[in-house]
Amino acid sequence: MSIKVNISRYFFGGWANESVVAEVSGNTVGQCLNHLVRQFPAIKKEIFDEDGEVAVEARIFVNGESAFPKELAKPVRDGDMIDIIPMAISGG
Amino acid sequence: MLTRNELERYDRQIMIEGFGEEGQEKLKRARVFIAGAGGLSTPVSTYLVAAGVGVIRIVDYDRVELNNLNRQVLHWEGDIGRSKVDSVTEKLKKLNQEVTIEAVAEMITDANISQLVAGFDLIVDAMDNLETRYLLNKAALDQNIPFFHGAIYGFEGRAMTIIPGETACLRCVYRGVTAKGKFPVIGVTPAVIGCIQATEVIKYIVGIGKLLTNRLLVYDGLNMEFREFKVKKDPNCEHCGHLTLKEGK
Repeated sequence: MSIKVNISRYFFGGWANESVVAEVSGNTVGQCLNHLVRQFPAIKKEIFDEDGEVAVEARIFVNGESAFPKELAKPVRDGDMIDIIPMAISGG
Repeated sequence: MLTRNELERYDRQIMIEGFGEEGQEKLKRARVFIAGAGGLSTPVSTYLVAAGVGVIRIVDYDRVELNNLNRQVLHWEGDIGRSKVDSVTEKLKKLNQEVTIEAVAEMITDANISQLVAGFDLIVDAMDNLETRYLLNKAALDQNIPFFHGAIYGFEGRAMTIIPGETACLRCVYRGVTAKGKFPVIGVTPAVIGCIQATEVIKYIVGIGKLLTNRLLVYDGLNMEFREFKVKKDPNCEHCGHLTLKEGK
């Protein structure tokens, strides 16, 4: 079972014009993100909050559709693509 | 009824199929509320004033600082220290004296937002923080006013249009709040996103085109890419969950 995660480099400590694509496995978004964290431990605090929920700054989409609000429980299937993009909240 | 001067001034947009004099009259009758007088507000207000929107209220309590000038191009060097709403109003009136511009130098709060937006047909989100965006989203839903969201960071931007009772709202997409602070931005990013918001506003008022509803537009200026993500109305949304979805939406 292979699911791709396309995660903005913002979550690796900077705002860059590139994404990191990782292959993960799992039956839910949560399981896939846990697999992702095992590959990239440093991003755990960027995409999860202290309660283990998805961080405010991380917006998660599965096959181009928002997974909000219960992102971690959302089921995924082989071949799915998970996008993790930062929320842009500035404007002034 | 448009005057001869208006017919000449707006001739090129009246020529657009589906726009016509009727569309121009709709713009003239429209009342648009713009929250903020900074980077996003600059292109939004400029193009809505140029297009001939009848009444625009701009609300911002801030004063112009030197570090605003890389992106808030309606504020000039001589405006440093002035109220932002006074600064933009002066220039916008010179652009189009037929448009009524109401400058309100107040902070938008839970206590005053209902009164501030009452009587307006549309609300434009040109804010710099999520807390106020939530207030605007809620007020728009409560008063059944279409809401035009925009946000930026660095070379990236987001935009989405919200029609109360019909589409996903901001709270169906975002949760929580983030820390306030100095953020990176290049002026062209709010220029792009603000123009998208202004386009949506004009389309909505005139009644043409397909709105950016149930879609979050993600702009990446460094790669020069636009991506779209589908968003759905959350039936348990604390802001719009109580609003009945209209049939077929």
